[in-house]
Amino acid sequence: MQVNAAPRPPGFAHALVHADDTAELVRRVAPVAAAADRDTGAQIALAVSPEAERALREELADCTGGVGRLTTLTRSARESGQTVAAWRARELRALSSSGRPVFVVAQHDPDLDGIDGGFWIELEAALNISLDGLAVTQLCVYPRIPLYGAVGDAALANHPLLLHAEQFAANPAFRSPAEVLAALPFAPPHLLGPPDIQLQYNTFELSRVRDAVEAAARACRFDQVRGEDMVQAVNEVATNAVEHGSPEAGLSIWTRPGELVCEVHDTGSLPLSLIGLTPPHPSRPRGRGTWIARQLCDSLHVWRADDGTRVRLLVRA
Amino acid sequence: MIKLADDVSSGDHVCAIPDSVEHLGEISSGFVVHGLARGEKIFFFDDDGAADGLLRRMAEDGHDPEEPLRVGQLEIVPEEGTRLTFRTPLADIHAGITGEVLRALDEGWAGARITGQVHAALDPGASGTLPEYDGLLARLVRENPDTLTALCTFDHVHFPDESIDIMRALHRDHLAATGAYDDGLLRIVRLGIGHARLAGEIDHSNRPKITTLLHQALDATLRSADAPTDIGLDMASVRFVDVASAVALVHAAESFPSTHRLVLHRVRPRVQRILDRCGAAFSPQLAFDDEPPRTVPPSKSAR
Repeated sequence: MQVNAAPRPPGFAHALVHADDTAELVRRVAPVAAAADRDTGAQIALAVSPEAERALREELADCTGGVGRLTTLTRSARESGQTVAAWRARELRALSSSGRPVFVVAQHDPDLDGIDGGFWIELEAALNISLDGLAVTQLCVYPRIPLYGAVGDAALANHPLLLHAEQFAANPAFRSPAEVLAALPFAPPHLLGPPDIQLQYNTFELSRVRDAVEAAARACRFDQVRGEDMVQAVNEVATNAVEHGSPEAGLSIWTRPGELVCEVHDTGSLPLSLIGLTPPHPSRPRGRGTWIARQLCDSLHVWRADDGTRVRLLVRA
Repeated sequence: MIKLADDVSSGDHVCAIPDSVEHLGEISSGFVVHGLARGEKIFFFDDDGAADGLLRRMAEDGHDPEEPLRVGQLEIVPEEGTRLTFRTPLADIHAGITGEVLRALDEGWAGARITGQVHAALDPGASGTLPEYDGLLARLVRENPDTLTALCTFDHVHFPDESIDIMRALHRDHLAATGAYDDGLLRIVRLGIGHARLAGEIDHSNRPKITTLLHQALDATLRSADAPTDIGLDMASVRFVDVASAVALVHAAESFPSTHRLVLHRVRPRVQRILDRCGAAFSPQLAFDDEPPRTVPPSKSAR
């Protein structure tokens, strides 16, 4: 089925294209990007390897809307697919607020595969949530046979559209984020060793959580605003844990010079770990905590563990 | 005898049992500021961060402590000094304080005031018992009826309940209870129709109190003919607000009748940042004011 016969309505379009080297990437992607620039006035934004970026910029030199580059996150933030999806949504929301749609070319980077390719499974599923409704078309370039089979399987399941011969077509293998995460389990984040501080708390002891994080932020020599933001972020996650998870929850803190990691653990079971990725409607009284917490720290990673739900927050000075 | 905080004067030796750290700050600041206004010299015995709480609350109350500290009208006895005092023989403490009162008068102050955090009196190495120290202070006030004022505070964090009961019984004069809401984390003091001062932290545990307060304030305002159309919360001493509470404040303002506004006074930068993230700037019925609310206290408005 051809789905791009008529101009696409505004909203996130997420498409997969296979390319095994830079030459093939440029050959398959550049014509579609140039068409987006020409037909819809789209801004082109790249998140690809330096080599592919050079080649694409050369090929798209005539584009009137210009070719930009999406921000690369720090290493520790980049390990969390959902964190990258949240930050990318902020960046693309800002870009698309100018009224011009954005055409993103993103490329699989094997450096971020980790031990099982889980980053890519989560990132693409999370983008389907975080970019929902934005005037963004994202074309994701994957090799036909990635190192981890799950990366290829997830790429196929996470993209509602496929690019074939410069045409977008609906992907019959597409699955919702919840279905993808259920079908393709991946490893939790790496262990951090014994925490520097550990405490249990209930609904009436949230101030203990704040005091512990505040003291840790001071020990990490954070400036005042950075420390206060982390206290606020952890408070929101810790509140969710005792409100929706279990009556009692735990907080673990790891401090290193210039870096603070807090992990909140409750024994409740969260249906889907990809929370707080979209802005809640202003009239809704609740549901903003995680959304705002994600903006207040460098990385916020939620995962379902065997013993409940865990949320790890990281902030750097 | 029950005394109002701004009614304590020379020759008084008053006892207060604060409900919380915020309440202690409120009482101490009121006592110190009142003494400063009377031209008296204040001795504040610090321990366990009490002086920080006092100075912070004075600033929040609009009384910058810097000048009285600079000119020596407000003297903070450091923690080590406080502890040393309670290891000093009672007779020497008596002589010392008598000397300080005379010195304050020599320096031109109208008198002297004593307060602070005195739980070092409970330490095993203390030179006397809590009732003995209190008896000594009572004697000093009797001997200096026109020049010495004392406020003794016994909080639940530093004093066991039985000590508090004994000290309550030993004092003839007590500070009036204010009828405030205080859960140890958040303190709400009503300031008049539709107005209240908040102090402390607002989170999941006490958020319902804020929504209830706002409903009651709106209701009281709507029912009284000449009440102002602003519902005001003095936020100068609010140190933390969680996201859901910030949203609740914004939504409460939006639910007011179009004739009424919610005005948040003296919001701290940290709280302002989270309110901004929750859409406070887009709510026409939510206003901010850097000045304290101008209200008539309930006790006086009732007269």
